[in-house]
Amino acid sequence: MQRLRSWRPQLNPIIVREVRTRMRGVRPYAVLTIFLVLMALTGLGIYQLMVQQARFGGTLLSAQVGQALFKGLAFVELLLVVFLAPALTSGAVSGEREQLTYDMLMATPLRPAQILWGKLVAALSYLLLLIVAAVPVFSVVLVFGGVELAALLKALALLVAATVCFGAVGLFCSALVHKTARATAVAYTLTLLLVGVPLLLASVWGQVTNPPGQAVPPAVLYLQPFSALLSVTTIAPTGDPALPFFGYGDPFSGLPLLNIFAVGVVHYGPAGPVVLPIYRATLLAYGLLTVLLCWAATHLVLPNRRWRPRWSDLGFLLLIVILLLVVYDARSWWHVQPPRPF
Amino acid sequence: MTPAIETIDLTRRYGRMVALDKLNLAVARGSIYGFIGPNGAGKTTTLRLLAGLLEPSAGEVRLMGQKLRIGGAQRLVGYMPDFFGVYDDLRVWEYLDFFARCYGIEAARRRRTVNELLALVDLEHKRMAYVQSLSRGMQQRLCLAHALVHDPPVLLLDEPASGLDPRARVELRELLRTLRDMGKTVLVSSHILSELAEVCTEIGIIDSGKMVVSGPVDAVRRQLEGGARLRLRVVHGQETAEATLRALVGEPAPELPRLRGVRYDPADERVLLVELEDSDEERQAALLTRLVQEGVVLSEFRTQAENLEELFLRLTAVD
Repeated sequence: MQRLRSWRPQLNPIIVREVRTRMRGVRPYAVLTIFLVLMALTGLGIYQLMVQQARFGGTLLSAQVGQALFKGLAFVELLLVVFLAPALTSGAVSGEREQLTYDMLMATPLRPAQILWGKLVAALSYLLLLIVAAVPVFSVVLVFGGVELAALLKALALLVAATVCFGAVGLFCSALVHKTARATAVAYTLTLLLVGVPLLLASVWGQVTNPPGQAVPPAVLYLQPFSALLSVTTIAPTGDPALPFFGYGDPFSGLPLLNIFAVGVVHYGPAGPVVLPIYRATLLAYGLLTVLLCWAATHLVLPNRRWRPRWSDLGFLLLIVILLLVVYDARSWWHVQPPRPF
Repeated sequence: MTPAIETIDLTRRYGRMVALDKLNLAVARGSIYGFIGPNGAGKTTTLRLLAGLLEPSAGEVRLMGQKLRIGGAQRLVGYMPDFFGVYDDLRVWEYLDFFARCYGIEAARRRRTVNELLALVDLEHKRMAYVQSLSRGMQQRLCLAHALVHDPPVLLLDEPASGLDPRARVELRELLRTLRDMGKTVLVSSHILSELAEVCTEIGIIDSGKMVVSGPVDAVRRQLEGGARLRLRVVHGQETAEATLRALVGEPAPELPRLRGVRYDPADERVLLVELEDSDEERQAALLTRLVQEGVVLSEFRTQAENLEELFLRLTAVD
């Protein structure tokens, strides 16, 4: 009977507990408010920047403002998500150890995967709340126009994938390291490595290759979220008269700093800028990385015999095989090459 | 009937250090077993092994007759760790509800269980309070309640009385008795024997990872007493009494008991404590006659049982 009862579907207790407590106190509301204020200020700042450009004689069309807002808001939101996600999950397991509730939790029939799944979903649901709460700010883009709905959806998909992946980084560190402060430090170090190393490699690639000046292989940037976002938000000319593209010479809409992430993503050819859709590979890579990190975390969370094979490994293996099959089957979709130099 | 808890040559090593060395333990069903030992003796390691939180290096654990497998203890055992944590941001009822959910208890039974446990540990009036606002004793009782949500036959309580004030200790002892009446087998550890002496039906004394002695409280006491101790309160003839007794130490008379030593009770200078090698009543009576014949006036002459605290100190004394 007990076995049968355990199969009866019920809400994950960890999610129930986290949901009950997550929104208690002032802190979650303060973070949400600060997040939205930052987003709103970003939107206002971009609008002012565009207006300023028009005052100095530039031609300013509504679609240009829309595109600039889309890029700016998406980048700020991704920046906030990438740095909030590890912080929210890096205390998930280590916090239980520090709070001395770990043994009590481990003494229950909850499986490690259930505990981690609950922790991840609870932490990410708050981040997704932030993303959803920012939708009204984002919708300003639609007022100005210039951005396809498909681009908006792609940006949203990338934001969600990055949230889950960097959340999984925090969760992995929390299971690996017993102290929350150290787990957070390790999670941020990994995040900085994922963000910084590809950028550094891309920026020096041309100098270290022989002959010099060769294009950066897109694979270098697959795990870099900002480059991937740039490949979504940079709207290249389509040739479609129904969707005019303005400012061929500047794919960043005059926004500062965005060109840092353009190396290896935006290639300039005789026909104008070519944007490599590396976000496709990024989505798949984040999916694989998330599954691998969660699998490792389910073993690290165990009090003993951590690496002994478990039944849950079969589930993870199946997931990885499915993802690898998707990667193989869709290779023509995600595997893009930079155009040959002219 | 098979014991509720049984360990067979249970051994646990941490690297080269042997924390538990071939521990053989049998706890009868429905008993309160006091597991006593100094700090670092291996009590917590034993309890963690019984709760399935640690893997034995050798030997095996049987709970209710079943050999313990990894992850198999959870439904048989309610475990309260020595340093327990509480989720501060939960309300008291939510805390119990959370653990009930962890055991997959359905909604209607969960509500009933939470109410019953709050009544059992006398926290009904704190139902809506945040856990962080409870006193140490209340948190301890709440933690004990959490170990009962799935109605396990065996309870493992690691140092439940540590940090409690005297009133809370009395309440805890009452709670343990109630649990025994409910048919639970309780294994409760402590390094303070007096905490458990009154309430336990069985005790085991562990030192340096080895079981020194184990069994029903009276049997353990009898097993360890070996000899006896006489308490003599001398009204007149104190010097004579002392000289007579000291003369018998090492030079036994045929009809008198063999004496190990004589000393004054530090608490009362008119009381002599005499350690005997046996507890033969005839010989003790002969000793009383001899003292009276020599003019010693006594207001008290009785055997004094060594209390559990003294047994514990003697057994766990550093050589």
